[in-house]
Amino acid sequence: MSRAVAIVGSGPSGCYLAQALLKADPQLRVDILDRLPVPYGLVRYGVAADHQGTKAVIRQFERLFERQGACFVGNVVVGEDVTLDELRQAYDAVVLAAGLSGDRALGIPGEHLEGVHRAGYLTRALYEHPDAEPLPQLGRHVVIMGNGNVAIDLLRLLAKTPGELAGSDLGPVPTDWLAGSGVETIDIIGRSPAADAKFDAVMIKELAKLEGVTIEVVGAGVSDDDEGAKKIAALDAIHGHKTGSRRVTFRFGLTPVRLEGKDGRVGEAVFQDANGGTMSLPCSAFITAIGFEAAAGLPRDELVGCAAELELGVLADGLYATGWFRRGPRGTIPDNRADAQLLAARILADLEASDTGLEKPGRHAFPQWTAAVCYDDWKRIDAAETASPPQDRCRVKIPSREAMLALARQTKEPDL
Amino acid sequence: MKIMLLYGTETGNAEMLAEDIMAELEGEHEVECRNLSDFGPAEFDARRLHMIVCSTYGDGELPASAQPFAEALKAAAPSLSDIHFAIFGLGDSEYEETFNFGSKGLAELLVSYGAVQVGERVTHDASGSDMAEDLAFPWAAGIVALAEQKIGEAV
Ligand SMILES: Cc1cc2nc3c(=O)[nH]c(=O)nc-3n(C[C@H](O)[C@H](O)[C@H](O)COP(=O)(O)OP(=O)(O)OC[C@H]3O[C@@H](n4cnc5c(N)ncnc54)[C@H](O)[C@@H]3O)c2cc1C
Ligand SMILES: Cc1cc2nc3c(=O)[nH]c(=O)nc-3n(C[C@H](O)[C@H](O)[C@H](O)COP(=O)(O)O)c2cc1C
Repeated sequence: MSRAVAIVGSGPSGCYLAQALLKADPQLRVDILDRLPVPYGLVRYGVAADHQGTKAVIRQFERLFERQGACFVGNVVVGEDVTLDELRQAYDAVVLAAGLSGDRALGIPGEHLEGVHRAGYLTRALYEHPDAEPLPQLGRHVVIMGNGNVAIDLLRLLAKTPGELAGSDLGPVPTDWLAGSGVETIDIIGRSPAADAKFDAVMIKELAKLEGVTIEVVGAGVSDDDEGAKKIAALDAIHGHKTGSRRVTFRFGLTPVRLEGKDGRVGEAVFQDANGGTMSLPCSAFITAIGFEAAAGLPRDELVGCAAELELGVLADGLYATGWFRRGPRGTIPDNRADAQLLAARILADLEASDTGLEKPGRHAFPQWTAAVCYDDWKRIDAAETASPPQDRCRVKIPSREAMLALARQTKEPDL
Repeated sequence: MKIMLLYGTETGNAEMLAEDIMAELEGEHEVECRNLSDFGPAEFDARRLHMIVCSTYGDGELPASAQPFAEALKAAAPSLSDIHFAIFGLGDSEYEETFNFGSKGLAELLVSYGAVQVGERVTHDASGSDMAEDLAFPWAAGIVALAEQKIGEAV
């Protein structure tokens, strides 16, 4: 008898979990569900278009579906197309690896003004997520609020010249949008001092390669702490980097107080500095990159709130959580791998202990999932995306769900 | 030949490659594949070839699964003069200044305790167009041929 496990979400957490489960027990039936017709979550739609090396983990995940026997069930929204309870009935174990895709709000006056954008919204638009909204006009003066790696990704992409995007998978619409953005200044603001910034020093070092900018770092300070000192050294090293006219300015220790504007459009961001003084920056766009939270859909707060053993990823009997959905919006791809490996061991032990001798139907309980996209369907989409990209791109993503589904449903032409 | 295939990894790429190398070599050789996190310096064996696949992380550092091994090695400071190893690196040329420093550093560390490196260190670039196995399989075949002479002579 083989046990059935449903994993909700095909991002790195879901995929690493399936990998670990199937490595330990190749007999398991593991289905990975995703609301999108395409797999891999933020590896596809979050990891920057110009960081293709980081996306190479996809080769491991392909093997999961091609050799380890995991099954991709795309285009099925848990909470809409199927309830969590129905899933729990049909599977021996259900794991929520659905990530956190909601943008956190800053909570200051003026946030509703036109020209205020959140990082998740922008990155989804840049990377052509099927649910993305159109890319906005940024104007000449951009302020990025936040000091995590996502903020640096946005800064880097906005600062790059078109030639610097060679080799990426940035699509034609975002490419034209960046090339024609007209952005002249980018100020990136950290609430904390530089030493406590969340970004990694390597992300800052990478900015020394930018070809069309003048970088200024204001008030990086000093630090006795090793990690802090590394960040400050990286910032000091890019201070004064001058290869072009677009101005990039790092500022620290500034708490946003309010956004002001005229005719409903943001025009100025007001901050308080560490000494209680006020400073303001003119801006035509204000981008918040301050973290993520649960999006509408699965009742995460409720589920996580009454979790049996949240640290171990156990929400209830046969119900588990991993990755960002469990931990919150912190941690990189390797953190999810470690998290998933620990949870896999726990699930295997629980399955062992709960053997009732009854075989659960798994996805066969849901004949109504006729619109589901399987792995072979995805490979058709993948093939279409990689068949003939322009010379300086490695892929051209298909941006709309309709077009993806049309390709997915295209059955193979019979051989003549 | 007896081969101990070891990998140091952060996101699993080196592990997958090590498994692929094992599948390539298994037919003709006796291969054991292990994570460096589960391998101690006392387990080096003069009769085996140690083949290491190791990535680079952070700012030119060893990946998480290789770090405890490197620490243990430094603490034990063993003499490895009868130990043969070969190493293959995974990295990304996006990180120009520290490209493949993980495998480089690990090789230097082993050599500093007297271990004998067999063949050249070959590296893969995640931003390049080669598949890791397309570089690693010929590397492995070449290393095994070299090591068969060397270890044969030594034992
Ligand atoms: C912009 C950005 C850039 C990043 N860059 C890097 C980087 O360069 N390197 C790095 O290591 N980390 C990076 N990270 C962090 C990394 O992406 C996360 O650690 C990781 O993706 C979290 O994995 P996850 O599987 O938990 O969530 P996700 O990757 O978000 O995957 C969740 C999946 O669940 C699906 N889903 C959600 N709700 C449902 C539902 N109701 N039913 C069915 N399916 C559902 C989603 O469609 C998605 O595919 C970045 C994050 C962001 C936001
Ligand atoms: C955050 C981060 C830092 C990295 N740092 C380096 C580096 O300094 N030098 C290098 O050559 N490669 C670096 N790499 C690239 C990895 O070594 C490469 O992606 C490799 O395939 C990872 O293999 P693994 O999954 O076995 O860890 C880095 C990758 C990431 C995501």
